[in-house]
Amino acid sequence: MIRFNNVSKTYPGGFLALKQVSFTIAPGEMAFLTGHSGAGKSTLLKLMSMMEKPSVGSIEINGTELSSIKYQQIPYVRRGIGMIFQNHNLLMDRTVFDNVALPLIIEGYSHKETRKRVEGALEKVHLSSKLKCFPYMLSGGEQQRVGIARAIVNKPPILLADEPTGNLDPKLSLDIIRLFEDFNDMGVSVLIATHDLGLIARMKYRTLTLKQGHMITDGIVDGLQTLGDVDGN
Amino acid sequence: METNHTRQSKSQLAWTGRVTAYFIRHLQQAIGSLGDLWRTPFTSVMTVLVLGISLTLPATLHLFVKNTQTVTEQWNSASEITLFLKLSTSDKSAQNFVQRVQLYPEVDNVVYISAEQALSEFKLISGFGQALEYLDNNPLPATVLVTPMKRFSQVQAARELLVKLEKEREVDQGKLDLEWLTRLEAMSELIEDIVLGIALLLCLSVVLIIGNTIRLAILNQKDAIAVMKLVGATDSFIQRPFLYAGIWYGVLGGLIAGICVAILANYFSIALVQLTDLYQSQFVLAGLSFAEFLFLQLIAIALGLLGSFISVRQHIRAIEPTAD
Ligand SMILES: Nc1ncnc2c1ncn2[C@@H]1O[C@H](COP(=O)(O)OP(=O)(O)OP(=O)(O)O)[C@@H](O)[C@H]1O
Ligand SMILES: [Mg+2]
Repeated sequence: MIRFNNVSKTYPGGFLALKQVSFTIAPGEMAFLTGHSGAGKSTLLKLMSMMEKPSVGSIEINGTELSSIKYQQIPYVRRGIGMIFQNHNLLMDRTVFDNVALPLIIEGYSHKETRKRVEGALEKVHLSSKLKCFPYMLSGGEQQRVGIARAIVNKPPILLADEPTGNLDPKLSLDIIRLFEDFNDMGVSVLIATHDLGLIARMKYRTLTLKQGHMITDGIVDGLQTLGDVDGN
Repeated sequence: METNHTRQSKSQLAWTGRVTAYFIRHLQQAIGSLGDLWRTPFTSVMTVLVLGISLTLPATLHLFVKNTQTVTEQWNSASEITLFLKLSTSDKSAQNFVQRVQLYPEVDNVVYISAEQALSEFKLISGFGQALEYLDNNPLPATVLVTPMKRFSQVQAARELLVKLEKEREVDQGKLDLEWLTRLEAMSELIEDIVLGIALLLCLSVVLIIGNTIRLAILNQKDAIAVMKLVGATDSFIQRPFLYAGIWYGVLGGLIAGICVAILANYFSIALVQLTDLYQSQFVLAGLSFAEFLFLQLIAIALGLLGSFISVRQHIRAIEPTAD
């Protein structure tokens, strides 16, 4: 579960990136987050993953109020969130297997269990054959899918994705969104930040729209007409 | 009852399994971090050498102090008191005196050299034989050489004995040739202090150097650390391989120091054999004992661990994951 309550974020230097944002994403819900470049989408995801702190307001993740936790507890909260970022964040000197296994090794899973889960996760993203490859041997889309496999391998209740389909062709973008749908079907809450309005229109999921840090719409986007509004045309 | 029993043994199994897994994981990480050192051979070798050489100096000085102590102990017990009797003392009363001294509980052995013996010996050695013929009377005093019992042969006790003997009516003057010994002892005490001072300074620099090496390793791995934090790694998980690296530096540096000290001790003892041959004394230079070697290892490991711990504390926390 994700709950934002009146959250504002001012960056050092005084830029107000989020203004009094409130919303809730229920367990097992899937939603999109959209808005112009610079609207504050990434900022919102960073607040959830505790890369940034809110200036005002409270954020609750999986029942934990983030402002009340100590530095030492941050990793444990992060383990409950699968995060996928556009730059993949893969370790370039480790194999695909080792990259995907990382969250499990960190949590101290046994060898056998790790192997089983990593193979399962790579199968879901159709990369079973690339187990022993290094990330530089993979295409952008394949790297993106390794990142997704790593995000879901320890079965977190929440999945966050920032532009997961950026730089991907429409076919692959759709494949990846389908993948998120599969996880959502298994009860994972999914929040996807994207520019790709065409994708959102096809999906008919709840969509949160940010504009200059304000949450301007929250609901099912109905066709391209609403997207025009978002673009401000 | 039966199910309860099986459940209990099952949980016990799980428990031992977890403990075993824990140790296996640590072992893997320890070996893995040795591999990391191998990946930056130049830095690793330099760090290990600096650690090894830094510990070699105080360890060698310690050997010097240790051996000086054995030497002074050995030579202490061979100490002798020379008593020059008054010229007026007759041969008979001198004999009498020797017998009296023999009865001292502190005294082990007494040798009497009469004035005549002394003179003829002097004639022989000095080569003034002819000239001395012209002397009216013998200018040399009779001499008594006193060897104290072993337990009175320490500098302090021997000095007290000398004072006591000098009070004897026949004695003109006594001499305890221990000045150089006290000087050696004082010197070895001074060296001990210096060793301690140098050791502390070198240890400090070793900690700083290892801290710096680990800092560079951390900065090298900055991106990987950020990713690990992103997927929920605790600081203690991230710092573990760096702490192991510190321990490995310690182990290897300690071994280098041990080897260097052994080589130096061997080199010195060859030189000493030549020197002591001249003095016809059998002196064996003692190297590091096994306990001392272990202590050296322990110090090296502690320094490696401390250096990496300080560095890890400072630098790992500062790395934050980023999304872009
Ligand atoms: N670390 C920072 N310091 C200062 N300002 C920042 C920082 N990060 C982001 N901003 C500003 O906050 C605003 C929102 O940025 P954010 O990255 O959340 O936008 P976004 O909606 O993700 O945009 P895009 O679609 O281009 O990724 C931007 O105007 C940006 O310049
Ligand atoms: Mg963004």
